[in-house]
Amino acid sequence: MFGKKKRKPLGLYIHIPFCKSKCDYCDFCSLVPNNKGIVEHYTDALILQMEDWSSRCRKHTIDSIYIGGGTPTYLDIRRISRIIDAIYTNFKVEKSAEFTVECNPATADLEYFRKLRRAGVNRLSIGCQSAHPEELKALGRIHNYDQFVACFNDARRAGFDNISVDLMYGIPNQTEQSFIESLTAVTSLGPDHISIYALKIEEGTPFHAMRDKLVLPDEETEYSMYSHAVDYLAAQGYERYEISNFCRKGAASLHNLKYWHCDEYLGLGASAHSYFEDERFATTCVVRDYIDGLEIIGSDINIVASSEKIDSAKCMEEYVMLGMRLTDGIFIEDFEARFNTSFNEKYGVRLDEYVEAGFVEKDDRGYRFTTNGMFVSNYILSAVLDLE
Amino acid sequence: MANNKKIRNFSIIAHIDHGKSTLADRLLEETGAVAKRDMEEQVLDNMDLERERGITIKARAVRLDYKADNGEDYIFNLIDTPGHVDFNYEVSRSLNACEGALLVVDATQGIEAQTLANAYLAVDAGLEIVPVINKIDLPSADIERCRNEIEDIIGIPAEDCPAVSAKVGLNIHDVLEAVVRDIPNPEGDPDAPLRALIFDSYYDSYLGVVVYIRIIDGTLRTGDKIKLMSTGAVFEVTAVGSMEAFGLKPRGELSVGEVGYLTASIKNISDTRVGDTVTLADEPASEALPGFKAVQPMVFAGIYPEDGSRYEDLREALLKLQLNDAALTFEPETSTALGFGFRCGFLGLLHMEIIEERLEREFNLDLITTAPSVIYEVKTKDGEMRRIDNPTDYPQPDEIDVAYEPIVKANIITPQEYVGTLMDLCQDRRGVFKDMKYLDNIRVELHYELPLNEIIYNFFDALKSRSRGYASLDYEMYEYRASKLCRLDILLNGDQVDALSFIVHEEKAYARARKIAERLKENIPRQLFEIPIQAAIGARIIARETVKAMRKDVLAKCYGGDITRKKKLLEKQKEGKKKMRKLGSVQVSPEAFMSVLKLGDDN
Repeated sequence: MFGKKKRKPLGLYIHIPFCKSKCDYCDFCSLVPNNKGIVEHYTDALILQMEDWSSRCRKHTIDSIYIGGGTPTYLDIRRISRIIDAIYTNFKVEKSAEFTVECNPATADLEYFRKLRRAGVNRLSIGCQSAHPEELKALGRIHNYDQFVACFNDARRAGFDNISVDLMYGIPNQTEQSFIESLTAVTSLGPDHISIYALKIEEGTPFHAMRDKLVLPDEETEYSMYSHAVDYLAAQGYERYEISNFCRKGAASLHNLKYWHCDEYLGLGASAHSYFEDERFATTCVVRDYIDGLEIIGSDINIVASSEKIDSAKCMEEYVMLGMRLTDGIFIEDFEARFNTSFNEKYGVRLDEYVEAGFVEKDDRGYRFTTNGMFVSNYILSAVLDLE
Repeated sequence: MANNKKIRNFSIIAHIDHGKSTLADRLLEETGAVAKRDMEEQVLDNMDLERERGITIKARAVRLDYKADNGEDYIFNLIDTPGHVDFNYEVSRSLNACEGALLVVDATQGIEAQTLANAYLAVDAGLEIVPVINKIDLPSADIERCRNEIEDIIGIPAEDCPAVSAKVGLNIHDVLEAVVRDIPNPEGDPDAPLRALIFDSYYDSYLGVVVYIRIIDGTLRTGDKIKLMSTGAVFEVTAVGSMEAFGLKPRGELSVGEVGYLTASIKNISDTRVGDTVTLADEPASEALPGFKAVQPMVFAGIYPEDGSRYEDLREALLKLQLNDAALTFEPETSTALGFGFRCGFLGLLHMEIIEERLEREFNLDLITTAPSVIYEVKTKDGEMRRIDNPTDYPQPDEIDVAYEPIVKANIITPQEYVGTLMDLCQDRRGVFKDMKYLDNIRVELHYELPLNEIIYNFFDALKSRSRGYASLDYEMYEYRASKLCRLDILLNGDQVDALSFIVHEEKAYARARKIAERLKENIPRQLFEIPIQAAIGARIIARETVKAMRKDVLAKCYGGDITRKKKLLEKQKEGKKKMRKLGSVQVSPEAFMSVLKLGDDN
């Protein structure tokens, strides 16, 4: 259509920093509100920030939206609807855009899902993490597995035909067997997309404080869990398209792919990250500062916590770092079209060292990690990239 | 010319931490050489390191003027000496410059191994010993017990000896009076040809080498042509004078019995060896003073810059340290594992530690030091005698006829309750028991002959930990003895790492090999492939461990669009890798080397 093809595609991320209770491993920006006032203020602030960005995104079309958290479904339907309405009011959203909302079991019911679906949300990402009550408890999750199943079924009933489920490995006291059980249980529900994340003990979390007491699966066990998941899911018709992400054919998350492809996205809300017009920046992760900043001057210029200009050399490094996370790896043709530089001369020769040992695969089209390579990708990438 | 009847030349000797330097400070204060307000702790210890560790590394001397109770003016030359066994020779030369010694004994500790060793050195040098009981301000001080020990163990009267607290400045005057009363004035022939004993020297960038001397016979004047008797080198004296608390004071001449310095545009400190005799070139003495020997390093180690590009900086730093330390030797050495570095020779472990610390601190170098080694003598089957100070040069087992290792005579003083465990320790370290005697009803003196290579292998730490810090050690070189030695090599992924080779007694080889392999396993980070660690004697593998291949090093966590965080993680990882040394195909961190070198402290 006239005018439309000239607009640049843009992903939109919106952060909702609230939870019913905070999980012990979590280091994301989220808090448990002690009154509804802060939630209301935050919703207002988000809308102010959207209005502020509206004029700066005139040349863009939103082709993926991701509302994440925290727990977005912590918001009552009225508030989340206000946010969704504001998105449509302030940005040009493509009809076919992927629109994901993250949710946790026991925070949303059938009615809630129906309203989301009606508002244009077409994808849900549900945090299940494990099918085992003691593992869920160890993580500090507030739901049980039955609640997850109910949540999943409600979502289907509400008409969601693109549902992703998060699972975790490396949970305290988790065994290979218990992980396989969780994986099998979740897969039997037939989700369209599965993300399998490794538990990482982050500084500042309760897990970090008690890290010496946690009985965590060792490296060898984690390796078995992961490689089992890869094989099992492949047999069930899920292909791995990124280190942690598996999907049925055609159900890869468009929004997440933007991250790995170094495409542009705008992050709104506290602690949200953006990659916009050759700059990476993030807003403050202090919710109060975020609200005050917007309420006082109606713009986010005072609440930027970090920003970095990404020149072409940096972008190239990021492109390799992120692209190698994908099963497809890096297509030399794409790389060279984007950077006008030989891939093989700089990165190809360095990656070649790992081909013989079976960590990296290459052909005429490009380079990619093998399953074994993916599992040690940090080690290899930290040697292959300049990182200066 | 000073009246030598009014001169008192003396040293202070003590076990470490018994308060020698503090007493020296008080003597300076009491005689007015240093005003109280200018008093820094340990005035005589100029180096930061000396102050921090509370030890004296180099000998110092200072001249004090004292008006005694009898109304006469005296000149005191106080010569401070290093208290540690590594510097025994320097101590003995300093003592030879004196007629007497203050023997400081801690009233709470009594006599310790170095008290005895130093007292014997002083007796051997023919000095009059004046005991001083220190730290009497402490609640646990037992002056009477101390007096008895001094009389019983050393055999000198201590009934009237000064009992002081150098810390709080109590009874210091008694010490000064005892010096006047009990220490003889110097003798010597003022008309004989000049003989002056060198007891210390240091390099000054303006003056050249400043030589500390004691005039035994004759007189030395500015402008004299002097000859150093061990080398025959001749110099023209540019200045002579005395050492005052805050610097050198030119005096034009030094006569018999006096202690002072000379400068003579000497560029090299190795020309002015401690113990050598200075005489006049035109009218030389017929005989040098007895007792001179060139100091030989006993302990050797390879020192490498952690960052290979700082090799030149390390060389410069060693040269600078050597300017003031004739006992430090070094020569370039290449290791396939560590690159370019230096084989350095030290008087002992303390000396080595001090040099390392000074290199790191004063020259801002990060170092990797190989395990210390001693000098072995090896007679090969073709009859050649070789001296080996680097394990890498040790011949293969089938080339060796006999190997000899240095043995020391060790003297341990310990409370009797630790005798059992210390005898076990000595036994375990291949010691040969000589005798044991009770110093009193609490403390025991043990005599052992011990291989020096066992002493440098954390013996001192083991001794301290087994005796909860109470036992003390002193040793002197004794002889070379035939021994069943072998070289232990370490292989990583099949490649020998030269810097990790060391020489060990056959009986110890298995245990040491196992421990090293374990330590390396703990300290070598997992890599993409499995790394076998082997310890071998010749072609025979005697220990083996494996560092398993890394299985998981991946960021499998959802950080949303936070790319910066991912990048930072990789950057940090890359930083870590830069510090690694690549040995063949294996990355090894400096910590892994250190872990092996610090081996043996688990007793």
